[in-house]
Amino acid sequence: MENSILKSKRTKEVDINKPKLTAKEFKRQWILVVISAVYVIYGVIFYYLPLFGWIIAFQNFIYAKGIGGSKWVGLDKFKFLFKDKKFLMVIRNTFCMGALNLIFSTVMAIVFAILLNEVKNRFFKKSIQTISYLPHFLSWIIVVAIVHDALTSTGIINDLLMRFGILKQPYQYLGDPKLFWGIVVISNLWKETGWNAIIYLAAITSIDPCLYESASIDGAGRFQKMLYVTLPGLRPTIMILLLMNIGNVLNAGFELQYLLGNGLVQNVSRTIDIYVLDWAMDARNMDYSLGTAAGIFKTVVSMSFIVIANYIAKKRGDERLF
Amino acid sequence: MSDISGINFEKIKHKKKMATEDIVFTILNTTFLVLFAVVTLYPILNTLAYSFNDGNDAVRGGIYLLPRKWSLRSYHEIIFERAGIRVGAKITILRTVLGTLTSLFANALLSYILSRKKFLFKSGLSLFWIITMYASGGLVPTLILFRYLHLTSSFWVYIIPGMVAAFNVMVMRTYMLGIPDSLEEAAQLEGAGYMRVFASIISPLCKPVYATIALFVAVYHWNSWFDAMLYNRFDPQYTTLQYELMKLLDSVSASTGVASGAQMGASAQNTITPITVRAAATIATMAPIVALYPFLQRYFVTGLTIGGVKE
Amino acid sequence: MKTKKIVSLVLGSMLAVSSLAACSTGNPGDTTATTGGDTPAVTDGGKQVVDFTMFAAMSGKEKAEGNDIMEIIAEKTGVRVKETWLTGQDAGEAIGSIIASGKLPDLIDGGDGSVTLYQNGLLVAWDPYLEKYPNLKELYSEEEWDKFRMDDGHIYWANVFGNSYNNTATPTGVNGEAFWIQNRVLEWGGYPKIETLDQYFDLLERYAAANPTLPDGTPVIPYTCLCEDWKYFCLENAPMFLDGYPNDGCVIVNIDAGMDNPKVVDYNTTDTAKMYFKKLNEEYAKGAIDPDFATQTYDEYIAKLSTGRVLGLCDQYWDFAYNIMGPFASPLTAEDGSTFRLDEIGCDYVPLGLTAKAGMAQQWNSYGDELNQSSGCAVTTSCKDPDLAFEFLSRLLDQDIHNLRFWGIEGEDYLVDENGLFYRTEEMRENWKSDSFKAKHTCEYSYCPQWQGMSRDGINRMMPGEQPSEFILSLAAPLQKTFEAYGVGTYTDFLGSAKVQTGPWYPLWSWSNNLSSDTAGGVAWKDMGEVKHYWLPTVVMSSDFEGDWANYMDAYNAVNPQAFLSEAQAEVDARLATAKSFGWTAPTN
Repeated sequence: MENSILKSKRTKEVDINKPKLTAKEFKRQWILVVISAVYVIYGVIFYYLPLFGWIIAFQNFIYAKGIGGSKWVGLDKFKFLFKDKKFLMVIRNTFCMGALNLIFSTVMAIVFAILLNEVKNRFFKKSIQTISYLPHFLSWIIVVAIVHDALTSTGIINDLLMRFGILKQPYQYLGDPKLFWGIVVISNLWKETGWNAIIYLAAITSIDPCLYESASIDGAGRFQKMLYVTLPGLRPTIMILLLMNIGNVLNAGFELQYLLGNGLVQNVSRTIDIYVLDWAMDARNMDYSLGTAAGIFKTVVSMSFIVIANYIAKKRGDERLF
Repeated sequence: MSDISGINFEKIKHKKKMATEDIVFTILNTTFLVLFAVVTLYPILNTLAYSFNDGNDAVRGGIYLLPRKWSLRSYHEIIFERAGIRVGAKITILRTVLGTLTSLFANALLSYILSRKKFLFKSGLSLFWIITMYASGGLVPTLILFRYLHLTSSFWVYIIPGMVAAFNVMVMRTYMLGIPDSLEEAAQLEGAGYMRVFASIISPLCKPVYATIALFVAVYHWNSWFDAMLYNRFDPQYTTLQYELMKLLDSVSASTGVASGAQMGASAQNTITPITVRAAATIATMAPIVALYPFLQRYFVTGLTIGGVKE
Repeated sequence: MKTKKIVSLVLGSMLAVSSLAACSTGNPGDTTATTGGDTPAVTDGGKQVVDFTMFAAMSGKEKAEGNDIMEIIAEKTGVRVKETWLTGQDAGEAIGSIIASGKLPDLIDGGDGSVTLYQNGLLVAWDPYLEKYPNLKELYSEEEWDKFRMDDGHIYWANVFGNSYNNTATPTGVNGEAFWIQNRVLEWGGYPKIETLDQYFDLLERYAAANPTLPDGTPVIPYTCLCEDWKYFCLENAPMFLDGYPNDGCVIVNIDAGMDNPKVVDYNTTDTAKMYFKKLNEEYAKGAIDPDFATQTYDEYIAKLSTGRVLGLCDQYWDFAYNIMGPFASPLTAEDGSTFRLDEIGCDYVPLGLTAKAGMAQQWNSYGDELNQSSGCAVTTSCKDPDLAFEFLSRLLDQDIHNLRFWGIEGEDYLVDENGLFYRTEEMRENWKSDSFKAKHTCEYSYCPQWQGMSRDGINRMMPGEQPSEFILSLAAPLQKTFEAYGVGTYTDFLGSAKVQTGPWYPLWSWSNNLSSDTAGGVAWKDMGEVKHYWLPTVVMSSDFEGDWANYMDAYNAVNPQAFLSEAQAEVDARLATAKSFGWTAPTN
């Protein structure tokens, strides 16, 4: 029976008749078309016009000379990036941390939202939710200071492990490259889970209560209801957020990595943005071209991720972005 | 007869089993959530403790849940010591209210259009906006553009450029897609146009997602400072609260700054330090926006029942 | 420091494509002259006060509206300047965005972005005004002014710091680098002469063994070392000093073959470097070095120092001292319930000029002015009245206004004794240490031209911190006692660096700090930094020092340090040639 609900819901969403561009249809929708045009003009001005700045990636851009006066260097800046082994390394770091963050934060936020939704007591529910999203308002500087506090040789983690005899000597967690990504993921979960769950909590409200009723009549327990009613109900939201965030994998932070990193873990901690900062953002000799080239690379990769993911979603009949 | 009693018996047994499952689940769930809350509450309490601690003492570290040496100096510093704070607070409140309202409307309308299943340019328009999420021209081209649009040195730079954000649009659109078409169709049969459907059918049903997006946008406006510095650096009348706090924090961090040896020694009374000021600024700016939350929270925590959605 | 830089990263995706497109911004005529506070007030004297804005690409503290001394100066000069400082950006980003936004202040110190301002033609040349205002011209000699000339032959800014009037520098403090030690350790050891690393660590260890905790029960750490980001100089550049060379920052400039035949030497690979890191490695194994040294942040480092538990460290004074003065002067509760202050039990640090071998001359401190010609105070083309701006800068150097800026108001901020000597009471000194007092009362215009050294009256110093009588009073009792025990009067004497004439290329860090990755040497310099960031803490913590040192050397040589060294040599030669063209000759000795 759960499957039948699912199926009917899914087919309904997939079954979208692609409208044909006919004069009659156009006339019927004229108001939508006019408003869309306003949005397109707005978008072109505020988002697409500044993209003209991209051409400097193909120049040896010198601020004082401007675009007109700077020398064209073709793909030199891109070649510089891809010849540098370190750039490949930072792509790996960025991608891996981005992917890990995406997976864990999505799962945790969903689990948290669903579990919170199961709470009957309103006061308890509200309090937990309010508390859980508060860390979002702290800056990474504060969060990293607390993480550091916990992980130093006299910090609480070493203290506990030594008290229970698991460790004989304090361990240098922050200097161990193997642990770095884990620390990043956990810090992220700690700070953002409650905040990320807000969207899912809102989405849960749109699930038709009748579905729970009929599931109960069919003898479904709480677990089953969570798995077969709540989760499928969240599916469109999950898919859309996943699709959008897949495009953000290469933007997966640098503030946290920058603050947490140190010389010993630099090979796993540095992300594309930190690389750009190190190599292109000298106060005296800013290599805007190199920074821009790295930015274009990120955009291209992000867009291809999105297109591929969107295509897969379309094939599978899932919710999609466009 | 025996048959019926058998069924009854089965049902009772089933119910009992469900009840124990329920209790076990509730206990586990409550424990988990409480633990989670404790873990997430800690950094806030820690920040709170630092914010009420004496500055010089806080530099020594080792403060956890309670201040070691009470002091209100940091709050005094951020609230009373700077003229810019009052102007900044005014502008921030204004932009938060105005920005949230305009942005909510702009995003909702676009989401509505994109969620019309029969809309002719649905895919194209979606893609157009999705690209804006990942492609950015960067800081300086944007600055030059704004200069030509006369948005620099003005309040409107806070409202107009960020009004439509693709992420918010997509979240809203997804929610709207979940609303059964039958409602819209019924209204249209009664002669309602697209805008009527948006205003009186879709929007009332979208309260939870509107609340969510409003929260996102409001928090964004409340915390913004970079745009104030970039576009209105020499126009103190358009400063924002967070920009003033950033300036304060930076100046405190600058310690004795000038390496000319002009001043020897720091004062024991000079008890503001970056750590405590940062903590106090965090708490002071967090408090109002958190206070706003309960008003929005009821839309998505109490499990709003969407009456009339049933097909 | 990271926290400082991080704010600029908060802009997230914005930075990702931080592209500068200046198709039209290169035109100075484009920038409309707009300035804040455009309603001129009238002073008591009936003069109209002109409001200028000033941006300094540094961190700083904004002054409150109606600041006392600012108003007095405005009355005297007819100009009031509203200063704005760097927030959350670095200098280059800030200058770039100010140019792009098309709105410039009247006065500017572009810091590292100064050249960009010049290249965009946004600055007013000083040359005609130097002739008009002798106060300004007096700042530097002809030769020094020439160093400020840009490639078009004009002067666009003047560095305002480290410039002593009539070369009457009276250094009291050591702002630079040293191995620092708490003076109670020296006292406990009977004020010994400490010249080498072995003696230094031996004393630290023995003291820590005998006094494992502070009165409040905090355990001591014999030695710690910061290696966060660019501040890892605390770990990496000691070999340069240990070999007796001054702080060129990136290399040793060897002058064994004479001052006019300088040879660049890499201090990373010398025997002294290996000896130094081996010593640190041994000390780490013994537990004398803070186990968290490699991963600590600047805040954690300062927190550790503030508790008084760190006995020794290697750092530059400005990097740690100002931040710990407050905590050192605050009362604490001991385990037995009594109160104590860290500075009163002798936790203040004194500098030691250690060398590789005992008896060597050292140059941890170098005397004389270090002229940084790469940035300074400038007037922009947006300034509505450049002549008035230069007149104002010149007036700021008048003794009466200079005194107002740095000493304050007579009778209120300082007193004058019968010999004309300025002095301050405890309360006055405390006032001038308080940020909120300074915001409302004092007005240094700290990035405008100023003097150090002896004041024009020949009695007082230009700045209170230089006044010998003021200096001694600012020291805690145990520190005064330690100074006495070693028979010295100032930090500078304590460090006891040799008074050597530095070469005309000095300091070379003013070159290496601004290296770009356009050249092979620049790329190598960055790579060397990354290799050292990883390997230096690794060799210190290694259980196989020789093996890891060999690995380090392999990794180091793989990034082509030679390319960097030859560019450094070329720079030294070029600076020497420039000096010679101004008539510099090698001192004979």
